Amino acid sequence: MTDVQLSVENITRSFGGVQAVNGARFEVERGSITALIGPNGAGKTTAFNLISGFLHPDSGCVRFEGRRLEKMAPYAIARHGLVRTFQAPRVLTRMSVMENLMLGAPGQPGERLGMAWLVGSRSKREKEVRAQAESMLELVRMTHVANEYAGALSGGQRKLLEFGRALMASPQMVLLDEPLAGVAPKLGEELLDHIVSLRRDQGVTVLLIEHDMETVMSISDRVVVMDEGVVIASGPPEDIQDNERVIEAYLGKLKPGSAAAPTTTS
Amino acid sequence: MDIFNLAFWTFVGVVAGIYGLLALGLYVQFSMAGLPNFGHVAFMALGAYTMALLVIQSHVSLVLAALAGIAVAMLFGVLLGIPCSRLRADYLAIATVAGSETIRFLVTNSAFTGGPTGSIGMLGPTQLSTYTGQWTPFIGGITSFLSTFFGDAATNDLSMFFIVWIIVGVAILVLWRMEKAPWGRVMKSIREDEEAAKSLGKNVFSFKMQALIIGGFLGGLAGVLWALEIGVFSPDDFQPTLTFYAYLILILGGMNRLWAVPVGAVVFGILYSGTRFLNFYPLSLIDSGARAYLRLLIIGVVLVALMAVRPQGMFGNRKEMLLEK
Amino acid sequence: MVWQQLAQLIVNGLIEGAILALAGVGATLAFGIQRVANFAHGDYLTFGAYVAFFVNVTHGLNLVFATICAMLGTAVLAAGVHLVLLRPLRGRGLVALSLITVGLSLILRDALFLVVGSGTRAYNFNQTTVYNLQVVRLSPGQLVAAIAAAVLVPAVAAMLAWTPMGKSMRAVADNRDLAEISGVNTDRMGLYVWTLAGALAGLGGVMLGLIQGIFDPDLGFNILFLIFTVIVLGGIGNAFGALLGGLVLGLAMEISAWQGFFGGLPTQYQPVLAFVVPILLLLFRPQGLLGRARVL
Repeated sequence: MTDVQLSVENITRSFGGVQAVNGARFEVERGSITALIGPNGAGKTTAFNLISGFLHPDSGCVRFEGRRLEKMAPYAIARHGLVRTFQAPRVLTRMSVMENLMLGAPGQPGERLGMAWLVGSRSKREKEVRAQAESMLELVRMTHVANEYAGALSGGQRKLLEFGRALMASPQMVLLDEPLAGVAPKLGEELLDHIVSLRRDQGVTVLLIEHDMETVMSISDRVVVMDEGVVIASGPPEDIQDNERVIEAYLGKLKPGSAAAPTTTS
Repeated sequence: MDIFNLAFWTFVGVVAGIYGLLALGLYVQFSMAGLPNFGHVAFMALGAYTMALLVIQSHVSLVLAALAGIAVAMLFGVLLGIPCSRLRADYLAIATVAGSETIRFLVTNSAFTGGPTGSIGMLGPTQLSTYTGQWTPFIGGITSFLSTFFGDAATNDLSMFFIVWIIVGVAILVLWRMEKAPWGRVMKSIREDEEAAKSLGKNVFSFKMQALIIGGFLGGLAGVLWALEIGVFSPDDFQPTLTFYAYLILILGGMNRLWAVPVGAVVFGILYSGTRFLNFYPLSLIDSGARAYLRLLIIGVVLVALMAVRPQGMFGNRKEMLLEK
Repeated sequence: MVWQQLAQLIVNGLIEGAILALAGVGATLAFGIQRVANFAHGDYLTFGAYVAFFVNVTHGLNLVFATICAMLGTAVLAAGVHLVLLRPLRGRGLVALSLITVGLSLILRDALFLVVGSGTRAYNFNQTTVYNLQVVRLSPGQLVAAIAAAVLVPAVAAMLAWTPMGKSMRAVADNRDLAEISGVNTDRMGLYVWTLAGALAGLGGVMLGLIQGIFDPDLGFNILFLIFTVIVLGGIGNAFGALLGGLVLGLAMEISAWQGFFGGLPTQYQPVLAFVVPILLLLFRPQGLLGRARVL
């Protein structure tokens, strides 16, 4: 790999005796779309939490743009350009959609106590942010709900809102946790187009967790597969599809009552 | 007493204003940042006691003492913030009550703060002038100025009324601006979901501290004004009940409406003081000593009824209230 | 002499601690289920004390019977409040519910003040003899309370540990969602928990009235904060923790006055423990003495 932007090195994390992540190791190339897949309980969301600072690893390290992240607070990591979304979308329920989006924008001097009462709500930066938010609304087709409480949105709409909000932060890399879950298929396709154009037009690196195999294979440059807290395979989509260990990991979970059967197209 | 006694209602107006200021401090912590500080009255106690102590024991000038009182309250906000900012809501409620009760307990049991008798105890039997000695000429000057407009109605209480409500007005204007600014937006986001706020690069800890410090500032200021207005205070003036009055004021106005806070304060003031006019049967059977219990009983009923039936208060948005997670 | 004082303090502390433990168990289970600080819990104790007074003094009936009436009455009160106010309004959020309990506390206490007046009351009980048990001395009230505690604290503990109902209660108080998934009817459990909490509070109120000798409508309110401390000490939602925590707190407060500890803490400062302990715990060990560390 030529230009490694994020490198995860043997991170481990346990919760009360359960080893959720047990020495995961992978790299993400700058400007690529990398998919993180694996059966339920493989440790993918935990890995996201460890990378973005919402959890700290018991051991191992995470490097982003040359910086070590493992001991940083999540907000500091976000400020360094690594923004994440959540599996269950965390929208700000009693704020409007517009306010949700505007919150995401970085570099707002009006957020500082000293400036706040001075400039109020009509500064130049605020106008810029509002304009950016408006175009983001168009992007995700939510202009018509701009002034609704985010709490009144449907699940799929909340996913979109979170996606748009993350983009407002002008990140260098974005971690998307199941961005398509609960989103209507047509809108989902548009969303995928946006994700691809993110990489193409703005050079934003994407690392996403997704269960829909078609999606994963069609847009990813690389796929990283986790199972039981470790990375069992990584490489281009074609290689992963035929990888025996991967197939076993998924098949092995196809016991009666399990919920991990993906839709593969092999 | 006649229900139209101007002097009485002026006094009620002053107290309402001071409680309104206290409630504004709570507004920043709870309505904006989402921190359920159940020990808010501690700021008021610290403001009042610090100022009185400095003037009486250390003979500091009143202005400096007042500023110091407010500063100590803000410092307590910092002290609270460092450990409490990572506590979950229900734990935070208990921890903050513990904090305010500790303060009240300490001043009740320390001789140098006057013990259970409060500011009287501080003065000792030989002192004649109170710590309000420097204040009296100042407010007297304002009163004589006002008498050109109000004639006989110009009392010190009236002057205090204007002073307090002008301060409340300024506070609301400043907070209004801040709420509309991106700063207010971040605060609200912390109230709604602080993990989301963190994921967008917001330093949640710093903002929570700011909320506590501003709450401390306003609470301390309320304490200073209280001490100046009432003159004689004791630890009983700063029981947790007062924090609940502040919450009641917020609820009356509508939890998330800044400008409704003073309205809530006035309504509360009328509610609280108006009980003394309940002279009609069958309430007239209750002797005046027991009136205090009746007043508290009514407040309890209002509190429960409000929360149950109309949690959005007078001006709140019911839709917004019911969206609460 | 020093050791005799210690023995006396230990006994006093255990008795007070038992009252705190019984009140605390109910409170912590209720807190664990609703996640709401019940500011009226102290007044539940007071209510029980006065029901017993009504039966025992106003109607001249036996004190044991009066206590049973107190327990029943308070259980009904607690269950009623839960059904009518707390459960339907659960979605309003923590602060709203806490404020409702504050309002309730004001209503209960001040209605009582209006009805019975601010004068003190005592039970129809001979409090003048002193039982001299060689090492320690007990007032009659303390003796009765001690016997009651010695029987009931283990009984409650056993009930919680071994009966299916007790286990379900603890499960719901510990982790409501998990219990729900495991098939426990959490709504019904909530009702049962409040009924139990009410009964224990009523009992605690009578015991408190007995060991104090005289009481007024502020009886329970005065120890509300101690009850909160017990909850935190034991870990919110942890019933055994509350039992242990109550005993520990009672002991600690009494023993702190012992001469052997550098002359002992002046009695007026004893309650400082009740404030500082929860603060320290919440800062450094929020799960209490017995709780498991959990992401808060």
